[in-house]
Amino acid sequence: MEMRHDNVGEVRRVVLTGRLDTAGVDVVETRFGAAIVPNGKDTIVDLSEVTFLASMGIRMLIATTRALSRKGGKLVMYGAGPGVMDVIETTALTEIIPLAGSESEALGLVG
Amino acid sequence: MTGPFEDERCGLRSASVVNGGLELVLNNTLKAIEDGRRRVVDFLAGQALGDVVRNRLEVVFEELVSNTIRHGFARDSDQSIHVRVEPRPGLVEFTFEDDGIPFNPLEAKPPQPLTSIETATIGGMGIPLVARFSSQLSYERPAPRGGQPGFAPSNRLIVAIPT
Repeated sequence: MEMRHDNVGEVRRVVLTGRLDTAGVDVVETRFGAAIVPNGKDTIVDLSEVTFLASMGIRMLIATTRALSRKGGKLVMYGAGPGVMDVIETTALTEIIPLAGSESEALGLVG
Repeated sequence: MTGPFEDERCGLRSASVVNGGLELVLNNTLKAIEDGRRRVVDFLAGQALGDVVRNRLEVVFEELVSNTIRHGFARDSDQSIHVRVEPRPGLVEFTFEDDGIPFNPLEAKPPQPLTSIETATIGGMGIPLVARFSSQLSYERPAPRGGQPGFAPSNRLIVAIPT
């Protein structure tokens, strides 16, 4: 599991790559939170390179989004492939974390 | 202190194909999730399954093996999970047996529906995902083996995933 991040204007962009399973979350969770939460910036998370999502990954996304929300920031996901989308839809995650189809749409949702 | 994936043991104790089904014995280490998953993926490679179905099968395997190791086993114990994977017409059936703490996932309290980020339950999504992806989910507590040597499962879960 890998992660990189940068800024698009005033918005933090985080790109996750690999499997958000038990092992992947163990590797990336601390860095994911550290890249997003402390500065409280609105954040978009690119899931297009995430090949698998399980409950541990859902847990990580909810916990980080909540921590960011308490600092006044919003988090929007985008780019989910079919398998990841299936899990997101099944858990109704989009009820609390918006999911956009593209980066530009995600930027529009946090802006 | 070592992390959960730094256990030196291999995750896979044994793997064999018996009567058309894949049988795995997994060790009590989180490495078992990935080691076992690879065997399941390889075994099912020849089946005509869509990508979303393959993903669902991996989710079910991940959630149930992870749950047992993280919550059902004593740390560093020699406990194990026995998994059988059997393709059948229109479905793939998993049978999971373990000698951990007796736990019926069908009786687990479901998490509250997600309505706000502040009140959302963090965790507890695994069993609901398994339930949603399966067409049949049954649990039984196998009869005690009366002190006979060998694997003595305390949980048996059968999960059918439509293909």
